[in-house]
Amino acid sequence: MHTLRVYRRNLGAHLRATLEYQADFWILVVAAVLTQGAGLVLIATIFARVPRIHGWGVWEVVLIFAMMVLAQGTSELLAEGTWGLAGLINRGELDRMLLRPYPCLLQVCASRVGMNAFGNVTVGGGLLVTALLHLDVAWTPARIGLALVLLPSALVIKVSLTVVANSTSFWLRGAINTFAAGMDQLGELTKYPLSIYGVGLQAVLATALPFAFIGFFPVSVFLDHGRLAWIGLLTPAVAVYCVLLAVTVFRRGLRRYESAGN
Amino acid sequence: MAPLIEATGLVKEFRRPRRDSGLTGALKHLVTRRFDIHRAVDGIDLRVGEGESVAYAGPNGAGKSTTVKLLTGILVPTAGEVRVAGVVPHRDRIANAKNVGVVFGQRTQLWWDLPVGDTFELLRDMYRIPAADYRRSLGRLTEVLEIGPLLPVLARKLSLGQRMRADLAAALLHQPHILYLDEPTIGLDLDVKDRVRTFLRQLVADGTTILLTTHDIGDIEEVCGRIVVIDEGRIRHDGPVEVLRDALASASSVRFQLSASAPLDLIRERLGDAEVTAPGERELVVRFDRTTRTAGAVAATVMGLVEVRDLRINDEGIADLIRRIHRPDEVTARSGAA
Ligand SMILES: Nc1ncnc2c1ncn2[C@@H]1O[C@H](COP(=O)(O)OP(=O)(O)O)[C@@H](O)[C@H]1O
Ligand SMILES: [Mg+2]
Repeated sequence: MHTLRVYRRNLGAHLRATLEYQADFWILVVAAVLTQGAGLVLIATIFARVPRIHGWGVWEVVLIFAMMVLAQGTSELLAEGTWGLAGLINRGELDRMLLRPYPCLLQVCASRVGMNAFGNVTVGGGLLVTALLHLDVAWTPARIGLALVLLPSALVIKVSLTVVANSTSFWLRGAINTFAAGMDQLGELTKYPLSIYGVGLQAVLATALPFAFIGFFPVSVFLDHGRLAWIGLLTPAVAVYCVLLAVTVFRRGLRRYESAGN
Repeated sequence: MAPLIEATGLVKEFRRPRRDSGLTGALKHLVTRRFDIHRAVDGIDLRVGEGESVAYAGPNGAGKSTTVKLLTGILVPTAGEVRVAGVVPHRDRIANAKNVGVVFGQRTQLWWDLPVGDTFELLRDMYRIPAADYRRSLGRLTEVLEIGPLLPVLARKLSLGQRMRADLAAALLHQPHILYLDEPTIGLDLDVKDRVRTFLRQLVADGTTILLTTHDIGDIEEVCGRIVVIDEGRIRHDGPVEVLRDALASASSVRFQLSASAPLDLIRERLGDAEVTAPGERELVVRFDRTTRTAGAVAATVMGLVEVRDLRINDEGIADLIRRIHRPDEVTARSGAA
């Protein structure tokens, strides 16, 4: 509990500093709207020609998309600092974090707040609500319970995968981690129904790099969509797995840390 | 009583990728993964008792910072053992962090993009400093280090001197009984240097154990009771600071950076018994006896003969100085060769 409280305060301090000294909240929201708008235009264009893609209707796809944007915003809010990890390692700046009586990974995560975090959380949340309103969901207690488990699990998966991607910096040793950026781009593919991709890619996105558990699978089971909808029930388990993976990879990497000469 | 800081046979090796130049070299490295091993710390035995103030001196690249990183648990030793207040730092980082404070002169410990006051509050939370203790500690540090006005300022906006004072406060908020300082006065103005030294002396008087790395003889003389000299990863000298002080009282030196190469013979002629050497092409070091001439007179003489770009008084390498005390012949031979 103490650990979480300190994390929140650490993040809060950076958030305040970001807002106070650097950025205007509304400009950031507009920026996110424009960026994510491009993806929405693509979806709209496709559905202007065909009513369904692989059995998916427009608002169902928007729901997947919304989950991805919300997850991205969450990761930019909670773990943006990991994108600076390669630089921190390269410049020997983990030294100062290792000198404090607090977990190094959490210090890294909280060391920055993503500029697009607020925009993406707002846009993602807005799209999520809009899609749900159009989808005419029967809100039984079971379905509400399901949503309450799926949503946090999906967000945790995204944050953990961001940590995993960037923890490779301990091995790659460059000043920026292009591998992590590439992995993130790959994850972006799951903004659209998984079934439009080849079997190999589907397998990768469902297992080795389980990005499909952020949007596609949880939405499938929530809407009870398709034969494989049940896979979405694994989302919480995948979340636990991703957290353990993130912590393990980071710890292993940290053992390789050698500071830096001046 | 067991020493507070105890290192035995401490070794740290760094692996440096060995790369032949060009693309083939880079590819070859990917395949073969060859490394050069560099021993930065080479079998150090060090014991520091409670309340001691130890200067850890030596030339650039001697292994001073690496030793501090081993003692603080940032680095894992290649061989040997460390124990600080009964804790093995790299194994139990968090327990160790609560016992010690660390200041790196070249690199701030503050959150770069936060106001100083926010950093202090975060540290209070991380170290779980009780509210009353925090208030007392912060009050005292703000007063002696005069950092009150700095609290609302972003760390990256601070001048070097301000930053150093804020860094000292950050390292001491949790009232550690051991303080490591890695070149705490590097680049500071004289008056800030003085303030920092006075503050450190006060800490020592209050019983804090200090280990301080430095190039600066002033730091050693004014703060420390004991000096350990390290070169090429090994301890070369360990003894009380008085010995050094005595040597300084009689010998002195000026180091000049010149715009052109020096007319050595002419300078030697004018300066009589002083020892004149040229360690680099446009560099000149004059060592002289303080009882027969002053640094000012030496500087004036040299400036009359050659254009001087920069000069520094008494910045003879500490390791050289110590060697001169112990083995006068060896250094004379070395500078003769230079
Ligand atoms: N993180 C590192 N990786 C590789 N080599 C290093 C590292 N840190 C220090 N070294 C090397 O080890 C030697 C000792 O460095 P250091 O302890 O920083 O010396 P000092 O502090 O006495 O100037 C130097 O040759 C330096 O280049
Ligand atoms: Mg150093």
